[in-house]
Amino acid sequence: MTDAAMELRPAPQVYEVDSRGYRPSVANLVEIWHYKEVLWAFAVRQFKIKYKQAAIGIGWSVLQPLLASLLFAVFIGRFAKIGSEGLPYFIFALAGMVAWSFFSTALAASADSLIRDQAVVRKVYFPREVLPLSAVVAALADLPAALVVFLVAAIAFGHRPSLTWLLIPVPVLLLLLLATGLGFALSALNVYYRDVRYVLPFLLQLILFASPVIYSARVVPESWRFLYLALNPVAIAIDDLRRIVLHGTWPEPGRNLVAFAVTMAALAIGYYIFKSLERGFADRL
Amino acid sequence: MTAAISFDGVSKSYRGGEDAYRTLRNDLVWLLTMGRAQGDPRGTVSALSDVSFEIPVGQATALIGNNGAGKSTALKIASRITYPTSGRTVVRGRVGALIEVGTGLHPELTGRENIELYGRILGLSGREIRSRYDQIVDFATIPDAISQPVKQYSSGMQLRLGFAIAAHMEPDILVVDEAIAVGDAPFQYRCVERISQLVKEGRTLVFVSHNLMAVESLCERAILLSSGRVTHDGHTKEVIHDYIRQVHASLATDSRQPIGGQSIEIRDVTFHDARGRRVTTVQPGDPLTVRLHYHASSPIERPLINLGIGDPAMGVLTMASMLVDGQDSGVLLGEGTIDCTFASLPFKPRIYDVFGSMLAGDGLGKIIGWSRWARFQIDEDFAGKDGKNVVTRTMLSAPVMVPYRWDFGPQDAAGEIRDRDKHAELIES
Repeated sequence: MTDAAMELRPAPQVYEVDSRGYRPSVANLVEIWHYKEVLWAFAVRQFKIKYKQAAIGIGWSVLQPLLASLLFAVFIGRFAKIGSEGLPYFIFALAGMVAWSFFSTALAASADSLIRDQAVVRKVYFPREVLPLSAVVAALADLPAALVVFLVAAIAFGHRPSLTWLLIPVPVLLLLLLATGLGFALSALNVYYRDVRYVLPFLLQLILFASPVIYSARVVPESWRFLYLALNPVAIAIDDLRRIVLHGTWPEPGRNLVAFAVTMAALAIGYYIFKSLERGFADRL
Repeated sequence: MTAAISFDGVSKSYRGGEDAYRTLRNDLVWLLTMGRAQGDPRGTVSALSDVSFEIPVGQATALIGNNGAGKSTALKIASRITYPTSGRTVVRGRVGALIEVGTGLHPELTGRENIELYGRILGLSGREIRSRYDQIVDFATIPDAISQPVKQYSSGMQLRLGFAIAAHMEPDILVVDEAIAVGDAPFQYRCVERISQLVKEGRTLVFVSHNLMAVESLCERAILLSSGRVTHDGHTKEVIHDYIRQVHASLATDSRQPIGGQSIEIRDVTFHDARGRRVTTVQPGDPLTVRLHYHASSPIERPLINLGIGDPAMGVLTMASMLVDGQDSGVLLGEGTIDCTFASLPFKPRIYDVFGSMLAGDGLGKIIGWSRWARFQIDEDFAGKDGKNVVTRTMLSAPVMVPYRWDFGPQDAAGEIRDRDKHAELIES
């Protein structure tokens, strides 16, 4: 290395570690920002690995919700005749499935992230938040294709593109933040209690049935609906998506604000759990 | 001088035994009973206790000690992979950790993708990584495999790639844990060369290895850990000397059994220097008297005694034998001593065994079978000897010393120049 290169190198960072537990600090978030390229590298890696040995690769991110919606349309829409807000059941279910498969993929990958990359966690330092975050980012990469297919299908079913479509990022952001918060908590708990691995599928099923994926939010009695939508951000995200794309109406700000508050609280608690358990990761993995 | 790494009263304990993995059930029970169920189930194993040291910027320091002494734990704390249970550490600069290199590579990614991923983790920009890429591939000598997934690599290739990545990312502090012990000989050589190059560039090195020769030649300072505590911290030669002595001495904790036959017993074996003082340690080349204290309950006629001095690893190096020299031992009865004086023991510092046997006067019957009778130590003061590997070479390699010298024959420096000129002429013409 030349002298000139030596001078260009920024002053070394100083890390001080003591045995006290986690105290929230801004420095912490700044550090994650410094490692954004590592986060990106992990996300790209996960995305690559996911589709590396699959013949139709990323096509699966589109096919999964399509096939599921088709199944639901036949068995639930046709045979069980569940109400679908006056919409064809297929497109109604597709809205739910696009949102749901993003959320469940993000949460499952995130919850598993520390275990999957334990070799790296045991060998080298980087902010551990990077792993669950990168899992969510990798899941997010699947979303645009699925959304495009959904929008194209909506148009094919006679829905006109409307200004309300500009608000699609709102439900996506809700799902993203919630998956991140729950992912922090579950990935950290997973290191300590391998039970999480078995609890997770059940938990996902619970959220699935508690959310209007295959049924309409309108089946919930009017008096409970506000609470139902506000306290379950997945529910309001799906309901928002249907309103925005299929009904061409604006989402209700009140419910959304409460849902955002709930989501941010979940994120804060999830992050706190993660940071409190973080110091033991390398020892437990 | 600022410290690159400082440990201040650092202790680390792990949850040990069967409680190493908790289950939700155990912890729920523990929580619900407010810890009264089986007491606290968290039995702990202490890996480091109250360890303090400072490593100045640019110093090459080794951590040495037996397996389980806490070396790797200290490295993992220094590189922020694990955290202290109590105490405080300060680390200044980017740490490049080579902890069991190769095993941390991602198996599904290609060599190239691993270089990129680890470059990012170690804090380099995309441009910096690309500028080092060729060096890394060259060093790892895997040009053909670089686009294949790492899971298709042999373990040797993984190791080489892992080391090459970490050693070329130019960290401020290089932490090396037993990385070079596993490669083949040419690779080990290149690793040591690369590490010493980084040290010359002024990077701080923390080196853990059981290869004491590498430690002695790379590091100016060594910290000896035993059972999680710092027991010696100082100049590498002193610390290694101390450590090897300890290792040898631990081999020498002999359980003394009575050495004896039917009517004679060797009750004690003592060692004496030229002036007859009792000693347990002598210098290389010194005379040594081995004194046998016997007790014969009935007369033993002209027994033949054999004494051998041996290295525990190499066997007997020299022998004194009445069978050979024809010494007449007369009649042994009651208590007495027999001295065997070796005029000079040209052996290098370490522990030596004294073996012995006693045969009947006719040379056929065995009175005491060949067995180990005692141990003594040869030791040397290395102060003032600053050869590169003087301590480890002397204490760990061939035990016998024979005086020697080097001579260089005349050389014709002009010959080389003539050859070069001839070569140049050939090219020009």
